[in-house]
Amino acid sequence: MPKENPTLYSVPKTTMWFAIVSLILLGSLIWTVYADYAREWKTWQRQFVRLKLEKARAELAQAEQGVDVKKLEELNRRHAEAQKSLAARRAEIRRLQKDLAKRDLELGKVRTRAQDLKQYEDSYKYYFEEYRLHRDPRAAEYEAKLGEVRAEAEKVKRELEGLEAAREIEARQADEYQAGEKELAIQIEELVKAKKTAAAKVKKLNPSLVTELLNAPMLDFIAPTLRIQQVVLEDLRDDYHFIQVQKVDRCTTCHLGIDQKGFEDAPQPFRTHPKPELFLSPSSPHPIEKVGCTVCHSGSGHAVSFTEAAHTPRNEEQMKEWQKKYRWRPMEKWDAKMLPLDHTEASCAKCHRNVVEVPQAERLNRGRRMAETYGCFGCHKIEGFENRWKVGPSLFNVQSKVKADWLTRWLADPKSFRASTRMPQIFHLSNASAPEEKKINDAAIEGIAAYLMKNSDAAELAEPPVPGDAGRGRKLVEETGCLGCHTVDGKGTSRFGPELSGLGSKTSAAWVFTWVKDPKHFSPDTRMPNLRLTDQEASDIAAYLVSLKNEAFEKTPPVRPEPAAVDWLVLENFKKTMRASEAEAELAKMSPEAKLQFVGKSSIAHQGCYACHDIKGFEEAKPIGTELSDHGRKDIHQLDFGLIHIEHTRHGWFFQKLKEPRIFDRGKVKAYYEKLRMPDFNFTDEEAGALVTFLLSLTREEIPLEMQRLLNLKEQAVESGRLLVSKFNCQGCHTLDGKTAEVRGFIEEAGNAPPVIDGEGAKVQQKWLHEFLRQPVTIRPWLTYRMPTFGFSDDHAKELVEYFSYLAGEDVSYRGLELPDVSLEKLGDGKMLFEKFQCVKCHKLDKASAMLGASFLAPDLVLSKARLQPDWVIEWLKDPQVLQEGTMMPTFFPDGSTPLPDVLGGDPQQQIEAIRDYLFRYAPDEDAPAETPPPAPVTPKS
Amino acid sequence: MIEAVKQAINSFSSPVTIFSASLAMFALFVLFPRQITSPWCTVPILLLVLAFFAVGLTDEHFVKIVTAPDNVPIVAMIFIAGYFTWYAMRKACLNDARLERGEPTFEKTETDEKVLVFPYLIYIEFVVALVYAIGLVLWSILLKAPLEEPANPTVAPNPSKAPWYFLGLQEMLVYFDPWIAGVLFPTLIIIGLCAIPYIDRDPQPAGFYCYKQRRPMVIVFLFGYWILWILLILVGTFLRGPNWNFFGPFEVWDVHKVVPLVNVNLSDFIFIKGLGWGLPKQWFLREAPGILLCLLYFMVPTTVAAKTWLKKLVEKLGPVRYSVLMILLLSMLALPIKMYLRWAFNLKYIVAIPEFFFNI
Repeated sequence: MPKENPTLYSVPKTTMWFAIVSLILLGSLIWTVYADYAREWKTWQRQFVRLKLEKARAELAQAEQGVDVKKLEELNRRHAEAQKSLAARRAEIRRLQKDLAKRDLELGKVRTRAQDLKQYEDSYKYYFEEYRLHRDPRAAEYEAKLGEVRAEAEKVKRELEGLEAAREIEARQADEYQAGEKELAIQIEELVKAKKTAAAKVKKLNPSLVTELLNAPMLDFIAPTLRIQQVVLEDLRDDYHFIQVQKVDRCTTCHLGIDQKGFEDAPQPFRTHPKPELFLSPSSPHPIEKVGCTVCHSGSGHAVSFTEAAHTPRNEEQMKEWQKKYRWRPMEKWDAKMLPLDHTEASCAKCHRNVVEVPQAERLNRGRRMAETYGCFGCHKIEGFENRWKVGPSLFNVQSKVKADWLTRWLADPKSFRASTRMPQIFHLSNASAPEEKKINDAAIEGIAAYLMKNSDAAELAEPPVPGDAGRGRKLVEETGCLGCHTVDGKGTSRFGPELSGLGSKTSAAWVFTWVKDPKHFSPDTRMPNLRLTDQEASDIAAYLVSLKNEAFEKTPPVRPEPAAVDWLVLENFKKTMRASEAEAELAKMSPEAKLQFVGKSSIAHQGCYACHDIKGFEEAKPIGTELSDHGRKDIHQLDFGLIHIEHTRHGWFFQKLKEPRIFDRGKVKAYYEKLRMPDFNFTDEEAGALVTFLLSLTREEIPLEMQRLLNLKEQAVESGRLLVSKFNCQGCHTLDGKTAEVRGFIEEAGNAPPVIDGEGAKVQQKWLHEFLRQPVTIRPWLTYRMPTFGFSDDHAKELVEYFSYLAGEDVSYRGLELPDVSLEKLGDGKMLFEKFQCVKCHKLDKASAMLGASFLAPDLVLSKARLQPDWVIEWLKDPQVLQEGTMMPTFFPDGSTPLPDVLGGDPQQQIEAIRDYLFRYAPDEDAPAETPPPAPVTPKS
Repeated sequence: MIEAVKQAINSFSSPVTIFSASLAMFALFVLFPRQITSPWCTVPILLLVLAFFAVGLTDEHFVKIVTAPDNVPIVAMIFIAGYFTWYAMRKACLNDARLERGEPTFEKTETDEKVLVFPYLIYIEFVVALVYAIGLVLWSILLKAPLEEPANPTVAPNPSKAPWYFLGLQEMLVYFDPWIAGVLFPTLIIIGLCAIPYIDRDPQPAGFYCYKQRRPMVIVFLFGYWILWILLILVGTFLRGPNWNFFGPFEVWDVHKVVPLVNVNLSDFIFIKGLGWGLPKQWFLREAPGILLCLLYFMVPTTVAAKTWLKKLVEKLGPVRYSVLMILLLSMLALPIKMYLRWAFNLKYIVAIPEFFFNI
């Protein structure tokens, strides 16, 4: 053993260091445990317990106040008295109880004996049956045993029954002594029940040593009261790229009050869901156990911290607040970030597929409608929306409609002609604002105009045969139904069709006349219907519309491009497929007109004009936009934010793109044909927001079929009907499917508005409806609005009939009506009632009824037989207000009683049937107006 | 002012400047170790490095990269490796001076006694192990492991970086094919490290720090350690951004940065630019100059040195050990040589045989 050498080592010094280091290590261990223990969600749960405690205390205070103190005192007094009197007879009661105990002991013994015997009986029975089957001689032995044990069991059973009967009598006796006292005790209990429950709740929530211990670090694995809450969702999956994992939502770990009543005003994260009747509650269509949270809200369901749950701030301000409060940061690699609150509706479309509108999803529906109105589907393919139509007018005949100068001015700035137009601004946008680019844009505009003028047919226009009167025309436009779809000169509100103001600066009277006489004459696919106008009416309307001019627009100079710019465009195009020298040679060979035509054609192809308009030469062209079918999940890295500093989120990018489609070119060096080309629709913030919600709803995320809202055949038929209704704008004039007619917004007298057709499927016969849709007839001659002839195909009419019928819960049948046999007597009664109630006073058109005013007029009853459903007539007569609120039809049988007790025994049901039966046999008398057949569509003279 | 400094540093930074400057500093260090390890020199250098970091901490982007949990150990490495290098060199220089004066070395003056490993050394080591344990615990609490969300195969992180200890190898990938940078060189490094005790069997200067007697060995080791390992890791960690583009320390890592890539093969230089014949069709003809060059690189210096100034060494080591040593040394030097060829001539490959993926 060498002697100690302090330069090499010193045991005491090392030991001292060992002690110090051990203590620090212990400290670090404690810190480790604490760091593992202190979790964000526990803080929230503690807060929630405090919140609940406060609530429970308030409840307790309320319950205490609710107790009738006087009554309680009285009861207590009586209870005390009862107990006192009971004490006097204590000896008696005690004796009875002792007897009962003795009896119970006896009973117990006998009961055991009976059970034992049963066991033996079962066993002997088994052996007996078994031996007998195998012809074993022991069978006889067991048969005897079985007989014995059965007899014994019978005896014991009787003994037991005797004892039980005796015990019952004794027990009743004992109870009788205490009955009064017990009754009082129950009453007292009843009185303070609410208070006791509340007090128990408070006690349970009050902090106690036990809960503290259960939640203490290292002990909290046993049975902590603070624990992670989760909903395991059977049928939903999280997509982890490589693997689909069952969805587990732990949101309720912090959002503790989300599915409980009473936390509507609590601070977040404890607030109750704002729509419990629609979401989360067990009786709602989206119960929390089945749907969870993240399938709608997105975010990371597994996470239990604010940041990791991938919360998304609503705006910059909230983001800053969160960064400060929760040290929030975006979860860069988590793809399904929570949707900002105003876009949550986007998720509805995951399960509600193939419907025109998702119930209660206002913003999503609005976005969808806008996408349809602005023709997004024209350029962008989107799965599930392939059946949409081109939104712009057909340009097959454009040369007959407008002049080239108008076209160039229009293309240069559509809004200057018509501020409300849906035609977007395509040229002269921010990424083409340099002087050189302006010239190129002008060249493209001129080229397009030249191309369209040359590549469209000259339609045959009919000059108005009679001179039109603008005043009358104006009245016609306002009163025949044009305003159902168009606005003109400040009248009307519908943006469905183009605004008609300034039409005189665009086209000629001959064109307007020919068009309104028969829109399908120009473009067979137009959605503009035929109002069956007479020559005079059409001339008046034409005179009125062409009198509306936009003078400011007329004064703008037409676009005159520089030849150099045209040449440049041609060259650039050639260079895509040719060598520069060849392109130049090719260009030199072209005439100026050929150059313009070429520029026009290539510009149309480049800008994709044919997505909205029918253009010759582009019948088969493919749309130019990106497919948007999965844009709700589009990888953010694939979105080009360019040099623009906005938040890197999908919704942020979409919004910016919609607001200013060319902005991502800002500051970039790009060749002409590389530049962004989405046109500017001039959306407001709100519109763009709704469209963003729609875009976010486009995902191919797989939701199991059982979780989707699947449509049955009838619902599918209703949905295709809804699409037609939206395509042809039925709700512009008619109140239908829960939407009020747009025209009712400006028609003052309700009786002048086109009829409400909610429930039409139950009202009219399908056969009649089908014919009516194909070839409308006048039902309400006092209305100036006309049901137009849409020229529905057989299929469309059929779809609409199915739509109306299924919507009203009816089946479709074209069989027509079979009238039941009715006795002549009943018909006579019907006639009498018919006259007594003066039905024809309103339901007939003559001078006298016309005096009543439009609201009191009603369809002629002659039509009923062919038109109405008998069952509907019954319901209608019973209470018209139920079927059509606000109708002027009187209720003749209020509350199931009749004003005429002496007809048909005063039975209202019989009376109604009699009226109905009479109605279906009602023949026009001599002065009934003859049915006027609708005028055949006019074809212009050739 | 600070902005101007940062700008200057950024514009100075490029692979070639950083590498050349490091080589220059390395040369100064091995030429004047005594002066540089003296406090008069060391303290200002340390202050300079600290000043650099102080300036850096005013830069948002620099802070983001330097304080990223995976990068913190590399910052620590600069100081730790620097300290140990300084400590050894300082002791070595002082010992050299003592030996020159004929005094015994430090190690001799401390004690000549021998002590039992157990319990004395083990006890101290145990306490030190505890200190390290504390360090690791605190580190893991304070700097959370950078665990991320589930991976998305369609989105690769950019830049995709190897673990820090492999970043030197990843940096080599810029200049060599994977089979060289990822397989051959690492293997040679391991073999080379294993071979050291068999090549350098001189027992005389063992057991104490010294420099003069072992100058070639120390220089080769420090060159491999500092220049070819640590420097490349530092470059890979702090200066290589998205798409493995080079960024100055205060430059924002822009994913969209575009750098022209105009490298050409040696065969192009010779047959197209030099001789103007056009590339031969057969790969062995086309690549003959490159293959020849490689062979010459390994053979000429070895034989010439063996005949001239390394004659003594050959005698001492024998032909086999001498050849191994030379191959290892030349391989080591091949990396900087290739780097400079790339920077100077945009040379892509010396031998490029895409026919069977063999490129040098």
